[in-house]
Amino acid sequence: MKILGPLTFSLATLVAPAGAAETLGFVVTDWKTAIHESQFMDECPEGMNAGNDEYWWRALPKDERARLTNNGTTPPVLRQHMPNHRGPNGEDVCQEPWLFDDPPLLTAEGPTSYGMNLDGTVDGAATAKTCGHEKFTGVDDRPAVDNQLYRLLGCIHGWRSDGLIEVSANGARRTNGLGMILIEVTGVDDRGNDDDVTVSFFRSIDQFTIDAANNVLPYATYRIDAADGVARYGGKLKGRIKDGLITTDPGNLSLPFYGNYAFQTIDFRDFRLELKLGDDPSSAEGMVAGYYGVDQLWEFVGELGWQPTGTYSCPALYAAIPKLADGYPDPKTGQCTALSSAFLIKTVAAFLRHPDGRAQTARAEATQ
Amino acid sequence: MIRPAHLIACVLLSALAGCDRPEPASATHDGPVVALRRLTPEQYTNIVADVFGPRIKVAGSFDPLVRTDGLLAVATAKVAMTPPGFEQFEAAARAVAAQVVDERNRSTLIPCAAAPSETFDQACAQDFYRRAGRLLLRRPLTDADLNPRLALAEEATKARKDFAAGLASGLSSFLTSPGFLYVTESVGATQSDRLDTYSMAARLSFFLWNTTPDESLLADAQSGALGTEKGLKRQVERMLASPRLERGVRAFFSDMLGFEKFAVLEKDTAIYPNFSHTVAQDGREQMLRTIVAHTMVARGDYRDLFTTRKTFLSDALARLNRVPTPTPGGWGPFEYPDGDPRVGIQSAFALTALFSHPGRSSPTLRGRAVREHLLCQRVPDPPSDVDFTLFTRADPHIKTARQRLDAHSNSPACAGCHKLVDPIGLTLENFDGVGQVRFADNGAPIDTSGTLDGTDYTDPAGLARALRDSPAAPACLVTRLYSYGLGRAPGAADRDDVGALQDAFADAGYRLPDLLRAITTDRLFYRAPAPVETRTASR
Repeated sequence: MKILGPLTFSLATLVAPAGAAETLGFVVTDWKTAIHESQFMDECPEGMNAGNDEYWWRALPKDERARLTNNGTTPPVLRQHMPNHRGPNGEDVCQEPWLFDDPPLLTAEGPTSYGMNLDGTVDGAATAKTCGHEKFTGVDDRPAVDNQLYRLLGCIHGWRSDGLIEVSANGARRTNGLGMILIEVTGVDDRGNDDDVTVSFFRSIDQFTIDAANNVLPYATYRIDAADGVARYGGKLKGRIKDGLITTDPGNLSLPFYGNYAFQTIDFRDFRLELKLGDDPSSAEGMVAGYYGVDQLWEFVGELGWQPTGTYSCPALYAAIPKLADGYPDPKTGQCTALSSAFLIKTVAAFLRHPDGRAQTARAEATQ
Repeated sequence: MIRPAHLIACVLLSALAGCDRPEPASATHDGPVVALRRLTPEQYTNIVADVFGPRIKVAGSFDPLVRTDGLLAVATAKVAMTPPGFEQFEAAARAVAAQVVDERNRSTLIPCAAAPSETFDQACAQDFYRRAGRLLLRRPLTDADLNPRLALAEEATKARKDFAAGLASGLSSFLTSPGFLYVTESVGATQSDRLDTYSMAARLSFFLWNTTPDESLLADAQSGALGTEKGLKRQVERMLASPRLERGVRAFFSDMLGFEKFAVLEKDTAIYPNFSHTVAQDGREQMLRTIVAHTMVARGDYRDLFTTRKTFLSDALARLNRVPTPTPGGWGPFEYPDGDPRVGIQSAFALTALFSHPGRSSPTLRGRAVREHLLCQRVPDPPSDVDFTLFTRADPHIKTARQRLDAHSNSPACAGCHKLVDPIGLTLENFDGVGQVRFADNGAPIDTSGTLDGTDYTDPAGLARALRDSPAAPACLVTRLYSYGLGRAPGAADRDDVGALQDAFADAGYRLPDLLRAITTDRLFYRAPAPVETRTASR
């Protein structure tokens, strides 16, 4: 009987005993910048922004345009080196955006946005931690929503539902195992209502398990990324559950991110989570919000703007970011250094395995 | 006595050595043939691996066996060799022989033929054939076994100008010979009611290890030691202590539980996205691991398999069962808590998913599987004119399987059998078509009450206790094991012996290793049936 190896059933049960507080685990399958889109695009009355490519070819004489684009038949992805180096001396438009004088970015307008009230004010007036800005009403009618990232990106085609930025990022994450965010909710006595739970965030070193239709299968086990036995990331927030909605207090934490060939650890400030537990325990959807540092944001969008999927002018975006920044003013200059932001997330139930080998407890789940 | 399978094969093998005349009554088998059993694909593969090493792969597939008296092992004694079936064996033989003599393997398997040569080396060929042929034919070779193959190898060497190719031709002849493809059981010259020692060795080896006898067994068969009580016990203890025993136990339970169905198991992944072939393979492995761990490693009471909450999980099965993986990337032990419906082997994927339809569960298939595979009770096939429309029609008022079956099995023609199987299968309705736990079906709560031979219960745990306490369960194991070893269902003459083994099994606390020992050391296990009736065509 050597094949089976050690067969003593000494492993403590992994299933939560009846009555004990349980732990809920989730893996984030979809991470999407929260962009509100009205039926008639009222939020973008002047239309969508033009991209680097369009600015480039519009500036060319007609004959030159026809020559460089082979009468327009060379696709943007194959000619991107030209629009991206359209500086007077061939400078890179996203590496040195301050050298360019593109028209201002078209930003999202209107009263409605996804998001949360991050600054605690009702009118967006400046506080010690924020700069004055205009508030939104939430898509779900909640008041005083802060989401300057939406104002910045809402009229860029790539970030909207028929754009490629989010689709490409979510699609890539399905199969490459990068930027895998795990959420663990501990101390859950009642999935419907519980006034004291703890929500932790980790990175997974395991990829998604997907079915034949490329859907992420729930209830897979994910190992938490760790170094020297200590979990990486691992930010914790106090939270509660009310009518199945998990909400957290704000806190500063870091999350892994991958999308469109860009890796990043996003250091959110005043980050918070809302996650709705539905009737089907195998999945949950929700929203996260927090202040996103402008330097980190530019690090991402600056790199992304080089790609034709960016569909925005790097100089225009670069100029708009500080104007829209509404959080964490620099003590010396008063210039805000972060943008309020919100992201819509989808998750499926998962089991988290900690660096010490401890597996998440779970209660017996049924399919129906 | 002429062996019928040999005759059949010789028709097909007329051009090959060894078939130009009937295989002689070997001096190594003392008396007439009393049984022939065709090798199963697993046995073929095991033999090739044990004789030539695991690098030699067996490709292709063989004619399927039709389950007989509850076992494929019984079918091996009844299967005919068809011409296309023989072609499959011949193709496999050629492929195996080619691998054995190829450059990578020849230096270790046939050192005297390591260097390429165009010349036939009689001594080398003779040495190789004697060593390999003894294990393949399960007895020492006679001149009649050896000489035609040597001649064939020599001729092929000349024709191909390649000694290795010549060796391969002779080896192919061994691998297609009736003496290899059929396990031949003969009686002793002086004891016509008892198998000779070579037949005893083969019966022991295929029963406990699912492979050909090794050198030690053959040596004891040749010396006659295996025919003594002391010698038999010594070999049985050696074999029970061998790592090969697990392979034998797995083979038996794979047969008993109908695992050949795994080869064609399919599910509708639109309904069950968690299903994959990995899940299916792991489900089979889970059952075998659980059985081996409980019965052989822990020496547990066989009946407790029906109530155990301990099992093993892989990543895929953990996900399917909605519990954490005990050992990421591998297999690990796992125990479900009290109150969980997953209790006993009858709740495992290998029963609940294997005996379900591609898109839904099946209380009838599951109930029948429990009756037939675990309790050895025969359930008749449904009548050919049965009307399934009552069962399959889309009626929004009928939500659960129990409601559908009620509508269907009220028909008198159906009621008899459904009363046998449904009260078991409906309790397993807590498991959907791939064995995932559920408590509702189409939004309606599932009623899992049922009854087993007079014992009522309300849930899978109750069914588990009823199965554990059913005297039919351990009796079934004894009967199946005995049939598996003999290659036939026990007859009237075996009744007392099987009864005594059942008593011994109970007295030993229903421990499987003790049962295996009791069966294999029982002289009646080697009792010969009536000789095979052979007919020679007059034309």
